[in-house]
Amino acid sequence: MITKEKIDYYIEKIPPAPKALKETLMHLNSGDLVKAATVAKEDRALNNYLKVLVNKPIYGFKNEVSEVSQIFGILGVSRSQQAVYNYMLSLLSPSKWVLFKLNRVVFYNLQADLSMNWKKILEYLSIEDKDILSAISLLPASIIVSEALFAEKKKDVTLLRTVHNIDLNTILKRLCGVDLFDISQSIAQKWEMAENISSIIQASSGVKPANDAEINKLGKWMHLLLFYTLSQPRYIEAELNDFIDFQIEYVGDIYEDFSKLMEIS
Amino acid sequence: MRAVVKNGVGVFNPQGFLDGAASNAILSIEDIEATVAQNADMVLVSLKKVIFFNRNGLDAFVKMFHKVRAANHTTVGFCDYDFKKYEAITKFYKDDLSFSLFKTHEVATLFSSNYKNQNKNILLYSEDKSQRAAMAIELHDNGHNPIIAQTQAEFDEKAKVENAYDIIITETYLGQMGQKVATRVTGNAIIYTVSSFLDAEIGNTFNIEYHNNSLNVGFRLFIFDAYKVVSMNVHALNFFSKLSTSAAEYNATICFVGLNFDKTPKEFKDNLEDSGIMFFEQMDDILQDKELLRELGASSAANIKHKRALNKITVTELPNFIDATVATIEMMTNSQAIKESAKVDDIHIEKRENTIASSIGFYGDMDGMVVLIFPKEIAKKACELLIGEETDDTELILDTLAELVNIVGGKVKTLLADHHISVDITLPRTYLDISSLLEIVQDKKGVQVDLSFNNDKFVFFLTR
Repeated sequence: MITKEKIDYYIEKIPPAPKALKETLMHLNSGDLVKAATVAKEDRALNNYLKVLVNKPIYGFKNEVSEVSQIFGILGVSRSQQAVYNYMLSLLSPSKWVLFKLNRVVFYNLQADLSMNWKKILEYLSIEDKDILSAISLLPASIIVSEALFAEKKKDVTLLRTVHNIDLNTILKRLCGVDLFDISQSIAQKWEMAENISSIIQASSGVKPANDAEINKLGKWMHLLLFYTLSQPRYIEAELNDFIDFQIEYVGDIYEDFSKLMEIS
Repeated sequence: MRAVVKNGVGVFNPQGFLDGAASNAILSIEDIEATVAQNADMVLVSLKKVIFFNRNGLDAFVKMFHKVRAANHTTVGFCDYDFKKYEAITKFYKDDLSFSLFKTHEVATLFSSNYKNQNKNILLYSEDKSQRAAMAIELHDNGHNPIIAQTQAEFDEKAKVENAYDIIITETYLGQMGQKVATRVTGNAIIYTVSSFLDAEIGNTFNIEYHNNSLNVGFRLFIFDAYKVVSMNVHALNFFSKLSTSAAEYNATICFVGLNFDKTPKEFKDNLEDSGIMFFEQMDDILQDKELLRELGASSAANIKHKRALNKITVTELPNFIDATVATIEMMTNSQAIKESAKVDDIHIEKRENTIASSIGFYGDMDGMVVLIFPKEIAKKACELLIGEETDDTELILDTLAELVNIVGGKVKTLLADHHISVDITLPRTYLDISSLLEIVQDKKGVQVDLSFNNDKFVFFLTR
């Protein structure tokens, strides 16, 4: 059904980060928002993406923000980097979704929901680190990879799952020895993202706790945030709720804090 | 979301946060209709992976429970929860707890009539005296040995004893239980358990579809365990007479065991015997008598009256059947299939050692049976995908094989539907060895396709 060769081919054909994006990120890394905005302006698709993203209601801006320099200025270095990473990931998403009932708008909403709540979590945990803030951008990679690998076999997977309760991540791991989060890590490496981004993403799978306590803690929060987000009706309807297994025990010790923060009652 | 059905138990596995909006998105009207159509003996919602729920979140499932129960007399309820969740549910539905609560899926299956492993030593406790009694009766009826603790102190004391019980039941509540006729399979005989007063209601509680499917897949002996029947009226008499007449078309036999006629008119027995039903005093009178079993068709299904030839529609659709099979096995084993030969003839199996088989029937716009003969190695490989590890546990391998053939059947159904051919599939049947398979198919003409998966030979056989 899905072979290791197919996965290798998939990773191989992921394009390297475009030059303009790399330069934008480099300037963001050095904290130079003006230069970053100047370079970013060259990429019209990035301009458009950023405009759509930050004008979503969840970002809470009263007036429409349209200029890249304005966007970067409002977001600041860390969130600008996160937004650029979100854009990079969106480049991988298919124009037509088959496995999941998604479209561009819903996918961008998902990115925005995750990003805003991740920021809230990091503020709660008193963590100020732009790479950790950007780590959330990579989380939807697991969805894009699932779509790419399983879309052709949608009917088979659906049938298999009517007789056996098994998630896509487990199917992939058992068939090929690598899982969705390993592939997400490969994407991060290809795009030269910071190493701790990959580590947090791996821990957020819920099945591969990290040895580093700090990374593990972030992995737990991210895992719970993912399922909190995917429990919203629009993502359930997109059939995203059960593509990977929710590891309830893994997040048991942070649930109380999470529910207070998200005001769940 | 659809329920995963195994051994007659359908389970929904929602994840994450379950509030009203989420539940309504998880469970559409089509999902509820599909659940009713599945006609499972038990429908459960597992809360194992639900970290938060509120009353609105559970309400959508409770509404589904009511619909399924009203349509099919199915046992319905929640399972896989901790004490906190149990308390919350019992508080939410304090005055209206019409469904069941089973602490784990394993506990739920003890109350299912399809549960295979019987004779479990079970310690049980509930604060509610009537619940304790109800659970004990159900468990006893299903062939287990319940031990009731009358107080919490007694329970704590008994539960301390290591290895004394196979399962301990607490935090469990029996709502309205399914009133279906309990069914179990022993060898090639199907045993239905009936009790108390048999009247017109038997037409609702007896799963006629299951019975017909069983006939289709080759079961030929049906035993009604009637030790606990008090009496039977004329409506039930008519029902069993008709059942026997239709079974005769398949050369199948229906027997009653343990039925006494103290409160049932004696002439009923004559009427039932006239329609072909046999009576025995003890179950062992049948099950321990190999000669009788053979005569009654339970050890051999070769005495089928109607041997039917392959017809044009079956042959025309053959590529669909093969595609479905190959695609499923390729998916489950992640290996490429090579078609080696195809012929229309009696089944021919070269290698009989370390080979197991399974079959699934289909009926509707066209009918027939797909038989799959596997080297044990392929079956084991398919197991690896479903259970995540290698196993030599034969029962587990056969279970997996049943799941696999179920997937093949489902795929065939979908492929035929694309050609506007509507079929339903029967329950899958597995065969531990080739001789038991041959008893069913050896004189039947069919299409045999030999396939090879990574040099393992695999046989596909389509017959009617």
